[in-house]
Amino acid sequence: MLDKVMSFLEVSHLRKSFVSPDGGKSLVVDVENFSLSAGDLFGMRGESGSGKTTFLHLLAGILRPDEGSIILDGTEVSKLNEAARDHLRASAIGYVFQSFNLLQGFTCLENIMLAMSFAGKVNETRAKELLDRVGLSHRLAHYPRQLSIGQQQRVALARALANRPKLVLADEPTGNLDPGNAYKALALLRELCCDAGSALLLVSHDENVIGGFDENLDWSDLNRAFAEAMND
Amino acid sequence: MLRSGPWVILFLATRGLRQYAFSTAVASLAIALAGGLFLGTWKIKEEAKNAFSRSSGGYDAVLGARGSKLQLVLNGLFHLEASPGNLSWEQYELIRDTRGVSEAYPIAVGDNYHGFRLVGTLAEMFEKHEWRKGRKYVVQSGGRLFTDNAKEALVGAFVARKLGLKVGDNFHPYHGLTFKEEAKHKDLYVVVGILEATGTPSDKVIWIPIKGIQLMDGHNPETATDVSAVLLNLKGAAGFMLDMKYNKQGNVATLAWPVAGTLASFFERLVWFQRVLEIIAYLVAFVAACVILAILRNAMNERRREIAILRSLGARRATVTAVVLAQAGLITLLGIVGAAFAYLGIGFLAASVVREQTGVLLEPFTYDPSFLYVPIGMLAIGLLSGLLPALQAYRSDVAKNLVQQS
Repeated sequence: MLDKVMSFLEVSHLRKSFVSPDGGKSLVVDVENFSLSAGDLFGMRGESGSGKTTFLHLLAGILRPDEGSIILDGTEVSKLNEAARDHLRASAIGYVFQSFNLLQGFTCLENIMLAMSFAGKVNETRAKELLDRVGLSHRLAHYPRQLSIGQQQRVALARALANRPKLVLADEPTGNLDPGNAYKALALLRELCCDAGSALLLVSHDENVIGGFDENLDWSDLNRAFAEAMND
Repeated sequence: MLRSGPWVILFLATRGLRQYAFSTAVASLAIALAGGLFLGTWKIKEEAKNAFSRSSGGYDAVLGARGSKLQLVLNGLFHLEASPGNLSWEQYELIRDTRGVSEAYPIAVGDNYHGFRLVGTLAEMFEKHEWRKGRKYVVQSGGRLFTDNAKEALVGAFVARKLGLKVGDNFHPYHGLTFKEEAKHKDLYVVVGILEATGTPSDKVIWIPIKGIQLMDGHNPETATDVSAVLLNLKGAAGFMLDMKYNKQGNVATLAWPVAGTLASFFERLVWFQRVLEIIAYLVAFVAACVILAILRNAMNERRREIAILRSLGARRATVTAVVLAQAGLITLLGIVGAAFAYLGIGFLAASVVREQTGVLLEPFTYDPSFLYVPIGMLAIGLLSGLLPALQAYRSDVAKNLVQQS
């Protein structure tokens, strides 16, 4: 959690702003310090539009911070060039989205194997095992549109864990699921992360989801930019 | 199945095209059409030029009545068009005995058998003349040459096949160069030999003794010794001398010399036709390039999210850019394969029409540099039209296209 010794993920003085429609700069993320240990399962509660996704994009190297540093397992992510960040994302980070973001033109098996291919670790057996693990061994050749919402999210979870990532980022992973499926998906995600030894950082606006994590905090406590905006 | 490295690019590209199968097929078809037209206009023209030169029967010149040189060549060597007029037997003898003339064979035309020309000449031509360097006429086994004073016929291979003529068959010639049922001559000819195929217009001819044409029942007795033309082979500077004598100073006969030059002028007249086909091919190629651009751009608009997902999974900018370029390349490659088939069709059709109409054997599938340049050019155009969509893919904003901001 915060200020841990031997942190696996360390974020410090992180700032990211965007150009707002009026031409001014709008600070979206302003995090002084945040850290995570290897294998931690961490929940972060936050409202919609508060910059949580931007924070996750920064951690994943999709966006570059304006200031500050992100050190993941000893690597300074924000200083890597784009290709290196792409490689890091492919091999060390799993991403779970609210809207699943499965590739519609590809089967369940192909969705997982594509994620493996970008890390250079294509392994069909493991891909099948993962789908078996999430209860979809009978849906290998099905396309996402042929699956229920809950099944689609399970494929997305399997894909995020495909390369045994050190860190899994989950952005409102239960946002599109009914309570029953949400509960199952969450349990599965935690199980998969524990099995793979991956740290999990899950963000959600749902108190029930975050309440299930022993380690959790409010995003508004962490992100000074949002806190200031609220005060304004 | 899916593998790492460049295979991923190919895998993603083929899948993308499968999603737009109809548009891909249309673009490939347009490319195939353009490529087929390019190859067709260029190679068939070149091949026709070469084939007509190859098929001039091994003669340097044709002497005939005053008129067009081209008409003389077409009539005397390619057995096309009507004879521009006659020469007297004395004129034939005169040129035959001229210094520098190594070969001189008179021919007479004016009759046909079921549309195939009867050409009268001397049997000597088949014994001595080489229709191509080192190649003399050969009579198929069981046959022989005609006798100059008999009503005998030597049939070209193409005619024999088309009409089913064989040694020992009899036939009545018909008057004129086109077949008319009512124009049947009384004379009865017997087939004494079938010539081996030469791939030249002589395959499309029924050869008979020159006296046969001259003395055919119903022909004008006053022209009974005339010839339609004299086929010549010349030595040294005889060509210049005879050109001066017949074409520049004389006004009785025309010497078509050199044959290749006369044919070249014929093909020059067809340049406008080739230009028109080339312009059409350019237009089709332009349309094909536009279609590729439109397909990939539309696909890009629909695939921004997909690209963002791929990038979030770790795909590099270069990878998604290469996927779009690979799609342009694949569409073009499909088009190139189609163009090869289109050219195959055009080539077969052109060769068979030319063979049927003139007896000239086109070889449209012999190697030509255009077989290499046209596909390379097509690939370049295809990749060029994929550049803009590829650039869009390269510049695609991952964060913006990935998810709704929370």
